[in-house]
Order: sequence, then C-alpha cells, then structure tokens
Amino acid sequence: MMRLTGYADKFGVHPGETIKFYVNCDGPKKYKAEIVKMINGDTNPRGPGFIEKPVSVSVNGEYPGKKQVIQSGSYGFVTDNPNFRVESFTLQCWVWPTTPKTHPKYWKHGAQGLLSKWTPADGGYGLFINEDGCPELRINGERVTTGAPLRDHAWHFLAATFDAKTGEAVLYHEPQITYALDPEIPPAVRTVREKIRQSTAPFVIAGYTGAIDGGPLAASSLPKGMLISGHYNGKIDSPRVCNRALSRVEIETMKQGAQTGGDERRGSGPTPKLSECLVASWDFGAGIDTIYAHDKGPYLHHARIVNCPTRAMTGYNWDGHSFDWKHAKSEYGAIHFHDDDVDDARWDVDFAWDVPADLKSACYAAKLTTAEGDEDYIPFFVVPHVGKETAKIAVMIPTISYMAYANEHLANNAGGAELLVYRVPIMQHQNMFLSEHREYGGSIYDTHTDGSGLCLSTRLRPILSVRPKYDHFLMQAPWQYPADLHLIYWLEVNGYNYDVITDEDVNYDGLARLKGYNVVITGSHPEHNSGPQLDALHNYTQQGGRLMYMGADGWYWVHSFHPAYDHLGRGIITEMRRCESGIRTWRADPGEYYHQSTGELGGMWRYRGRYLHTVAGTGMSSEGFDISTWYSRTPESNDPRVAWAFEGIGYDEKLGNFGLVGGGAAGTELDIVDTMLGSPPHTLVVATSAGRHTEGYLLVMEDFGFNQQGLDGTQHPRIRSDIAYHETPNGGGCFAFSSIAFCGSLPWNNGDPAKNNISRLVKNVLDRFMKDGPLPPPPADAYKHRGRADYDPPGNKVSTARGV
Amino acid sequence: MISIPRKGTPEYDRLVKEHKACIDSMKGVAGCSILRCATPGDTTEISGGIHEDFLLNRVLLRMRALPAKGKLVVICTKVEKEWRIGRLSGIRGVPPVFVDDRTFSDEQEVQHEIFLMRLEEMAESDGMPEHFHEGWKRRADNWTAT
Repeated sequence: MMRLTGYADKFGVHPGETIKFYVNCDGPKKYKAEIVKMINGDTNPRGPGFIEKPVSVSVNGEYPGKKQVIQSGSYGFVTDNPNFRVESFTLQCWVWPTTPKTHPKYWKHGAQGLLSKWTPADGGYGLFINEDGCPELRINGERVTTGAPLRDHAWHFLAATFDAKTGEAVLYHEPQITYALDPEIPPAVRTVREKIRQSTAPFVIAGYTGAIDGGPLAASSLPKGMLISGHYNGKIDSPRVCNRALSRVEIETMKQGAQTGGDERRGSGPTPKLSECLVASWDFGAGIDTIYAHDKGPYLHHARIVNCPTRAMTGYNWDGHSFDWKHAKSEYGAIHFHDDDVDDARWDVDFAWDVPADLKSACYAAKLTTAEGDEDYIPFFVVPHVGKETAKIAVMIPTISYMAYANEHLANNAGGAELLVYRVPIMQHQNMFLSEHREYGGSIYDTHTDGSGLCLSTRLRPILSVRPKYDHFLMQAPWQYPADLHLIYWLEVNGYNYDVITDEDVNYDGLARLKGYNVVITGSHPEHNSGPQLDALHNYTQQGGRLMYMGADGWYWVHSFHPAYDHLGRGIITEMRRCESGIRTWRADPGEYYHQSTGELGGMWRYRGRYLHTVAGTGMSSEGFDISTWYSRTPESNDPRVAWAFEGIGYDEKLGNFGLVGGGAAGTELDIVDTMLGSPPHTLVVATSAGRHTEGYLLVMEDFGFNQQGLDGTQHPRIRSDIAYHETPNGGGCFAFSSIAFCGSLPWNNGDPAKNNISRLVKNVLDRFMKDGPLPPPPADAYKHRGRADYDPPGNKVSTARGV
Repeated sequence: MISIPRKGTPEYDRLVKEHKACIDSMKGVAGCSILRCATPGDTTEISGGIHEDFLLNRVLLRMRALPAKGKLVVICTKVEKEWRIGRLSGIRGVPPVFVDDRTFSDEQEVQHEIFLMRLEEMAESDGMPEHFHEGWKRRADNWTAT
C-alpha cells in the first residue's frame, strides 16, 4: 500500500519561479526529497531500463512526514449566520438520486445529506436520505421518514416542514414519475417535541457537517477544520429554505422561488407573504461556470460550491427542446453532486523550490523516498519563458491528456475492460491504492462511484498514473507519461538539445509559445485538446512551423479549462464531455453536452467540424490493446518530396518489428490518412501496417453507421496505421507517425539509428525539420490541382485497360 | 451461445494446450494476445490461438465479458518481478483481494492460470435462460461497463 503520495502546484514551471510540493507521508516520520531529471521511466528489461539523473539543488534533503488526506465529495455551504438559525422551517428541493441506497461495504455507506444545518454531535435540522434510501427529516436526534425508498435515477420533489410551536413535522415525498404498481406515498406527519439546537455548523447542500472540529486532517476541508460528511450522490434542483412551516399550497407556490424581477410589490417573491419567510432560494442555473450557487433570496446567501460537481445538468423541468444551457438556464437548475468529486486536495505545502533561472528545460521529478522503502515521484516540467527558448526543438508534453487519464480505475471499475484489452489486466500498486482510495478522484475515462460519467479532472491531487515505473493495464506497458519518456530517452541518447512545453502553455500563450521553435514534437497520445491549443498548432504549421506527431488518437476530444480556478494557476481543472459519438467509456445524457466551464459544445472535435486529420495529417481509425505490429514502406515513400526521410532504410525492411509497447511500432491506437476527413489532398502515405493487426483491433464507431461483421483487425481495411507526410505553407510540414506504440520502438537497441530503423526514420525527419529557415521546396511538378475524393480506383479504369 | 468445455473432454484439452502454447510464446512481449509468436517474444509473425481456433476465441470472449464482481485479475506485487491472482470486489472503494498465496515470476503465466480457473468456475451453459436473474434487466448482466 502506498504510504507516500504527493503533487505539485504546477505541471510546468518557468526558470526563476517557485514550485510547491505537497506530500502525504502516512507512517514514516520523515522522507527524503530529491530533484531528478527524468530520462526513461520504463523498467522493461528489454529496454535501456529506468534512468534518472540527480540534480544537485538546495531543496534536496529530508523532511518531516505527516499524513494528509483528500476530503473528496462535492457540496455547497453557507457559513453559519442568524438567518439559518431558525426555530421553525420549511426545506424543499427536487432530487434525482443515483445511489439512494448503497451496499454496506460501499466506501461511503450511510445517510446522505440534502439540505442540512446539522451535526451528529450538535443536532440541528436537515433533510436527508437515510441508510435505507428513504427521505428523512432530522431535528436534532429525532427522525421522521416516509418509509418509502426513493427510486434511483428519477426526479422526486421533497419538502420538510417543522412548526416549533405545535411540534408538527411533515415530510412530503412526491415522485415526478409514477408507475402502475407504485404504492401511494402519503406525507409523514409526526409531533416532535424538540427545540432545534443551534451550532456554528454551516448550512450544507448535498452533505452534512460530520464534525465542527475535525482535527488536523480536516485542514484540507472547506470550511477549514470542519469535516463535511454524508456526501450525496445525484442531482439537486431548486433548493429553498424558509423560516416557518409552510402549508402544502405555499410549498407549491414556493417552487417558483424568489422572483425579484417580476413585480416590485412582492418583495423577494414568489408572493409578498412568502417573501417574508424566505431564507434562501438557490438557482443553480445561474453562474454555472462559477463555484458559487446563486441565491436569489433577500439575503444573497450565495453558497460556495466545493470539489467541483457537475453543472449544466438538465433539471427536473428540462423539456428536451433546448440542449445548450446558455439559452435555457431555467431548465438547467440541477447540480449533480458526487461523493468522489475533488477539485483540489488542499494539502499543506511541504517544501518549495525556487527553480534556478539557468536550469535547462527538461522533464524533472521530485523523487520521494523513505528509509523503509516507500517511494513516489512527482513529475513536473521546466518550461522556458516565451521568447527565451533554449533549443530549436520543443517537445509538447500532452498534459491535458495526462489529466484526462489521471487516476483511472478502468482495470477495477470496468471488470477489467477485458473485451477491450483482450487479456486479463494487470493492476499495479498504484491501481490497488486507488481502488481503495476513491477520494483521490478518478479519470475522465471513469464513471464516478455512483456510476455517472466523470467529466472534470483536477491536477491539484496526486496523479498516480503519471508516474515512472508504471505500466498501464491497457498495454501492460508504459502509457502516456512513462511512454513519452521513451521519446525523451531517445532525444537524450541521440544528443538533441530540446525544450519541453506543456499543453497548458500552448493553451494560454497561443502561437507565441510555439513560434520560437523550428519543430514541435508531440507526445505519444495527445488525445485531449483545448480549442486555443489547436488554433495555435494550426497557426504554427501554416506559418512554416514543423510538427512531428509521434502518436495516434490525437486531437480527438474537446477540452476546456474551468475559469473559476484560474487564480490557482494554469489549467487546474479540465472538462470534457463524451457526447454523441467517439470511443466513449461513458456517454453523456441527453441535453448535457455543453461544458459548464466555457459553455462550448463538448464531444469530439470532429463533430465541431474540426477533423482530427487536419492537425497533423492523420486521424484515428482503430484501437486494440493486445499486441503491436510493424510497417512496410509504400511506393509513395520514394517520392522525392519525402524520400529523404528513408535514407539508410531499405525499401523492404520491416519497419519497427520490435518495441516496448506491444512488441512493435504499430499498435494500440492507430491513425490513417483520410482526405475526406481533413487530411490534406497532397498527403503522402509513406508506410502502413495494413493487414497485420489482430482481431483485438476494432474500427472506431464514428466511422460506421451500423454494426456489421468485419470490423476487426484481421478483416477491415481501415485498421492500419499510416505514417504520413505533408508540406504546409511557408516551408512548414507535418510528419505523422500515427501509432501510440510508435515511441515504444525508439529506445530499442538503445535508440541507435544504425540498429533501429524507427530511430533512423525519426532522426532523418527531425534533422530536416529542426533546421533554420523554410524546408527545401518540393519539386515543381508536385504543385498540381487535387480533389479530396477524386482518386480513380483501378476497378474503374476498365476502359483504359482495354485501351479504349 | 457456445458451451464452456468441461474438463476431460478433447475440446478442453485442445484449448488448454493451445492457450498455453500462445502464452509461452508471448513471454517477453510488452503486451499479450492469445496468439502464437513464430519466434518467442517477437510479434513479427503471429498465428494460431484466437485467430484459428474458433472455440478458444469464443470461450475467451465469454470470459472477458464476465461481470466485475468476483472477476479474476492479475496484481503486480513487485514491479517486473512478481505477480499474483486477485479477485475484483465489484464494489466501488473495496479493493481486489488475493485468491491464494501463489506467486508468479512471469506476467504472462498468470494469464494461463486464470484461464484454467475460469474454465473451472464457469457453468457449461453460462448465460443461457436457466441463469436468468432480475439483474439482467438492471444492467447487472454479462456486460462490463465502466
């Protein structure tokens, strides 16, 4: 079990800036921290082995260890104030619970708070879902329930009233949809002789206060020191609080909430009488891109929303006509809370490092160890200031993709996702730790602990999948960060001087971040991208920049950074929605395709009219995760426009029939040229792996309209990887290597171009692309008119064959 | 659906033998498929296994589609050195547990051991109407979703 975990406040840090590290050391009294330069993260004995280089800096040393925990689970709160210290009350809201009743072993089994100012020790009042899945009204230690369990994944209206004078407590549970055999649920009425005990507990939405003084471990909670418990899974819409017991008719009227804009004579509304007792009336459809729940009531009790639940969710009144929350906010008044949401671990800083102004840009990590054998690495990247580039080559580290895959649970959640990987998955100690510690949050590939899609990922938490020495269950080999270190190793061993930059640098700095480089090299799997990043890449290649796309399944999903976290740094939380098509481990519900963070349409870039193939020339066509294979050159590789790339490589050589990801250069996820999907018409396919893939490889679903046989790697012509080249204006160009496994072949035979034809090919391309000035122009006869679909297949040339 | 072969039948013996041969040939590959490498540890030329034995192919698909609860999984206990067999809980937040004390020194060998265990554990008519339960209506069928 991992006792040592940590994270940094930045992925990318500029020389001269400070980077802070946050460490959980659960057990050992102290730990050692050392800054290391990362060269190779792959422990595979058939490769060069794990390589790191110590960096002698003042921050290296021993630090006292202390336990730090993540307080996951989203909720809203308003700090204690006299308005919430009511004697009588009405609480009402709509709910769409996803786990009203949980398994006794479920990680957060127990009652869930909906609207509460209540603690187990101090009492108070609140509306809950009890352990049996039934709505429950609590007044101090007294409980009133209907005894009718809430149907999961369905809307219900709930209201609870308490009249302190008469002691009458009423609980209403009114399902929005009823079925023929549903029993009636009459209101539960009881006399409760209690005076509500008051405490400093906040008013909590979607949870309750577990302890007002939660001890040192609650330092990472909000409000600081207070432990929030009983996290609710599901949607809440239109919560209201009144300071007297309303009649059922008044409750119905109060569903309208505050109506300040309607008529000045009504006060807050919805009627003059009701405006007098209104404490809070939250409208979750307002401020969807913020971390506040807007109170339209008289006291403006805007609730702080913690741990970034999913917003822009369809409400109880969504009618299926509006799909963009920006134009129908009143139908998007729901927030979906999850007990495993996390926006920021909020740990104490353990040590900080002022990065020397002259430190070379590269991949680094804080290596943490204890005398007892614990170990963790916190990777980060030293990125030059814009305008102070130190190399002609930039490696663009796909950090948005790292965030998308952060702490994924597929090997566990998805029953091993075995139909996908085509073997029994292997879980490492990181997976085992995460399977128990759901508070570390999941990836955008996962579903939440309540089974709903996970669409937001923060980097302010330990990300145990972004670690060296980590084999991913998908390939039984490095994936993403450690796989990208295969490329780093190759650059190092071949003596290249390179800078590293990250996705968020390109997102925030745009073209300026790229313009200073002759060539930009991607990681092995830059799948997740923001619009500004794609704009920058496009501008770069159009203005003479050179792009080496070292992987596949790139430029696939629409991402945006949540603006409410910008004050904490660049790209803190990224959002992505899995919409109408694409390879989706979960699927967004109808009406929930638009991002809460920017309001833009989520899903695949393809369905935003921005085809994958336009970025670097190729786009994803298939995936499979059992084993990889190799490439053959095509006649187009002899075209003088590109023949230079194959100097030193025989035409019949098996290209990349070796490697550390699946055993070959062509594998896992594969891209092809398709001029109908955005590949420039002059793109050359110089090598292909067609016909060599296993049955485990399947065509992507966005490429077919209905299911039919023949979609696997042993049959379908689109299941292949195409290595492709095309020129861009002003002496630029793109080389697409089109396979995620490709970089895994680079370290083979120590990356020696004389003993590794993949290394030779990449070296030939990089040596040409990194030169100053425009690329040499193609031959004059290369300039000609080309259509997109104007290829004339041999079968159509019957008349020519007959000599007619 | 196809039947899961029973121990003592020629089909069972054939499948076990072919699976083992595939696994042995995959040792050293950073990945794994139930296919035979012409040169052990080298995926340049592959054949046999799931590409040529239809029953093996189908039985493996059925095994892969088993629901998460109680599903066997490989757990790496020492990086590049030691592996064990675990079982998924099917409950969020409850980690897999080891099924026994056996350790394996090769990551591919565990695949074969789990294949044998699943042949024992699965009913011959797994997934047929006589196995109907209410969960079939509520997404608790043999479909592994995330």
